[in-house]
Amino acid sequence: MFFLKELEKTIQLHPSYFGPLIRSHIHRELLTKEEGSSTGKFTIVCILDSFEISDGQVIPGSGYAEYIVHYKAIVWRPYKGEVMDGVVTSVIRSGFFVDCGSLQAFVGRSMIPSDIKFDQTATPAQWTDNGEQVIEKGTNIRIKIKGLRSEVDKMYAIGTMKEACYPFHPLLSSS
Amino acid sequence: MKLRSPPGLHYPITVVELARKHDDEIQRSSPLFTYYYESVVTEGNKYGETNEVKKKFPAKFDSSADGIIGQWFIKNGTVIHRPGVDLVEIEEPCTHEIQFGSLCANCGKDMTEVDYLTEERNVDRATINMTHDNIALLVSQKEAVRAEEDSKRRLLGAKKLSLIVDLDQTVIHTTCERTIAEWQADPENPNYEAVKDVRSFQLADDNVANVAANWYYVKMRPGLKDFFDRVSTMYEMHVYTMATRAYAQAVAKIIDPDRRYFGDRILSRDENYTDKLKTLHRLFPTNTDMVVIIDDRADIWHYSDNLIRVPVFNFFPGAGDINASFLPKQQELVTSAVRAPLPELTPIKDSIGAEGETAIPFSVAGKPTETVSTEISNGTLTELEQQLLSMSGGDSPEVLEQQVKEQEKVIISQQTERPLLQKQLLLDQEDEAAEAEDSEQPVEAENGDTQSSEHHRHRHGLLHDDDRGLDLIEECLNRVHRSFYDEYQKKKTGPQGGRIAELRGEKSPKKRTLEEFVPDVKVLMPRMKREVLAGTTIVFSGIIPLGLDVQFSDFALWIKSFGAEVSLNVNRQTTHVIANPDRKTTKVKKAARNPHIKIVNADWMFQCCTRWERVDEAPYVIEVDTAERGGSPFEDLEDDDLAVTGDEEGDNADEAVSPVELDMSDEKWQSLGDEFQDFMDESEDTDQDSNSDSESIHSDTGALADSKRSKKKRKRTTGSTDVSDAEDSDTSVNSTSRLQRRKKRVLERVTSLTNVVSADKSSGLPSPETTGPEEGQGDEDGKNAVAANFGGGEAEDEDEVEAELLAGFQNSDSEGDDESQE
Repeated sequence: MFFLKELEKTIQLHPSYFGPLIRSHIHRELLTKEEGSSTGKFTIVCILDSFEISDGQVIPGSGYAEYIVHYKAIVWRPYKGEVMDGVVTSVIRSGFFVDCGSLQAFVGRSMIPSDIKFDQTATPAQWTDNGEQVIEKGTNIRIKIKGLRSEVDKMYAIGTMKEACYPFHPLLSSS
Repeated sequence: MKLRSPPGLHYPITVVELARKHDDEIQRSSPLFTYYYESVVTEGNKYGETNEVKKKFPAKFDSSADGIIGQWFIKNGTVIHRPGVDLVEIEEPCTHEIQFGSLCANCGKDMTEVDYLTEERNVDRATINMTHDNIALLVSQKEAVRAEEDSKRRLLGAKKLSLIVDLDQTVIHTTCERTIAEWQADPENPNYEAVKDVRSFQLADDNVANVAANWYYVKMRPGLKDFFDRVSTMYEMHVYTMATRAYAQAVAKIIDPDRRYFGDRILSRDENYTDKLKTLHRLFPTNTDMVVIIDDRADIWHYSDNLIRVPVFNFFPGAGDINASFLPKQQELVTSAVRAPLPELTPIKDSIGAEGETAIPFSVAGKPTETVSTEISNGTLTELEQQLLSMSGGDSPEVLEQQVKEQEKVIISQQTERPLLQKQLLLDQEDEAAEAEDSEQPVEAENGDTQSSEHHRHRHGLLHDDDRGLDLIEECLNRVHRSFYDEYQKKKTGPQGGRIAELRGEKSPKKRTLEEFVPDVKVLMPRMKREVLAGTTIVFSGIIPLGLDVQFSDFALWIKSFGAEVSLNVNRQTTHVIANPDRKTTKVKKAARNPHIKIVNADWMFQCCTRWERVDEAPYVIEVDTAERGGSPFEDLEDDDLAVTGDEEGDNADEAVSPVELDMSDEKWQSLGDEFQDFMDESEDTDQDSNSDSESIHSDTGALADSKRSKKKRKRTTGSTDVSDAEDSDTSVNSTSRLQRRKKRVLERVTSLTNVVSADKSSGLPSPETTGPEEGQGDEDGKNAVAANFGGGEAEDEDEVEAELLAGFQNSDSEGDDESQE
């Protein structure tokens, strides 16, 4: 689910950047370092343009200047019970992996409807019900998050295909 | 899950009442049963008196697992005395067999949670990773076994085996030099034919971040596509490489564009936990019975029985293995100077199959895992070598970061220095200098010389597209597959009773005992290999660097896996001597006198070991001077050999420990020490021995005639004091001749009889007299003398020679005694 969030970031700038363009340097630094990064809780999707830069402070000893930047960003945070779209990255005997943006999810055998079976002999290997449904590398898929765990800069999720995948509404979700 | 009484309770405890019955559902942390324990407490009363009272305290026991009560092992009133007593069996709804990022893949619960009830963390239930491309997915032992059983059935059904394929230098060869692109664009270039099918790619998320837009040029081993086509019918193939994931995938795209052969079964360094070793258990945690590996290096597989070692594919000379910095150093620590230059200057080992003549198709020096003595390398480091050393990273760093840097360096050096271009044009002055260095340095390094000579030979026609390695591999794979399924069929149909019983409708025991008639590749392959060279006894000479334990050197381990025995010395059992064709070592000479011993170059061994058959030795025989072969009566020498072998220690390196006579003065000890020091400092000189040695013998013999004593003394002090003498004798300083001379001296001192004989003879003939007394230990000297004689073509009186030799034979007995006195 996406949020608009106010964030704060301390940026250190090398003295060689000091000059009239210092603002744009800070802006660039912010974009390159923060956009797309994951804090473990959420992923920063997009930094909005308006942001405040505090007065710079030169750090004694190094010559670097330190700026505290307040900015707004669109962040994405997955929730347990959320329904997401993703792309299958890898198919193995015990399930398949799905990339949902910055979140990697795994859908285990027990989370796959029982009519969809693993077919090792196909090239490449796939999960299929021998009909229309084929899950192989590159397939677009909709899953529901069953479990979620975050580490310092990474998130893991367990997805399921067995439950009804209607669009997620946080107020209705039972988690 | 069985719950046991945990430690940390007030034992003994007495169960009061079970809170749940059989088949009841229970939540984690809800009470399972109540119990009481007794404890002594101190009570005070209002008068300030205290007394000890034994009291009962009721308590509740909480379940540490969800599930359904399966069976109680305790009942009301049971007294539990100690931790570890079975309490209850709880059937869990989910046993968390598969975990992804420490989340259970079946129930989605977080496995890392730890609370007051946790006895064993849930993450520890699944610790095995058997997925190729993901390190976050772990499974339990049970699940792993199940998965392997499944794949085993599937493979048996399809009549296939698993094959693990290494990429670099096994099926492809990669370089980063953009010269290739230029050659590809230029049909005029002599290398155009060879490089026109080279494929290139760039990696976006290159580890080598500083090298922007690095191009990799990949040459597929000739016939790779057909090879995969045929092999994929017999094997299910996996890629296992020490390259990065991105690289592995890019290469896979080239060699397997439709993903028909490998699918997603690609394992790269990113998913391999250890960065130094490849292990089968990473992919096949419980059962490796049906797995075959092809790789060009055995050490990183720990010489696994499943391994088919293949000839190295080295298409771009000097490029080496681009990912080698992530493998264990082929050279280790102090060996640097000898081998470090090799990754850069390694010669073309094109087509060992096609050209049997190339001296050593495997980078000899690169292989050994043990260390070569420091003395060889130190002090001989030239600037260039230092440079190369730093480029190829001879200091064996452990840190991945450093490895990345190393690789970066290699790549940068390939990009900036463009060794291929240099080599091809042969214009650059530095390159010539390097060449000069190159030809100089290997003379010092025992192993380098063969390589460098070969290197020069090939420089002009740089790239050769005639590698036939895949044919050999395929043949081996065919044989393994055939014998595996032959045996499988035999075992399966073997016990007729079982089959009949089955047909009668009895419950087939087959399903259960699948294990029984699936042969084990680990047994099968070594057996096939051992037949190849069974019964041969091999002696290496001039192949394995000094200071290495021969028995555990890469070559010895390799050839031993084919059933050959490796011994240190030439003796009666010896059937082959694998020698360096450029050097006439003592062992070669000794072996030369025995017509049954075949003296072959290392290529014979590679042929045998890659073809898995005993190759005819004839094309690989090293020509030994006929005079040496036939010149001396074989029977005598045979005896001599036996007498000598015990003492001679066979190995050059052992000179230092060879026995020394006792009547040495302090001065002599001193000079001996100096001499030893000299030897250690310049032991690389050893290859010169065949020439200079004979010279020194001539001078020796001449000296013998007049004053042996002084000669001896002078010889001893060479290198330290007597400079002028160092001119002629020191050039010949090498382990073997020194050893010989020392022995000779010993001989001279102890047996006066021989001295008389030799002195007498010497008057007429300048050299052959030495054959008499010397034959025993100094067989090299003697032989040289004989060879010189015969080679000279002088009308030698046959009888006289015979008499001499006879004398030598007689003397040898006394010599034998002398030896034993030492």
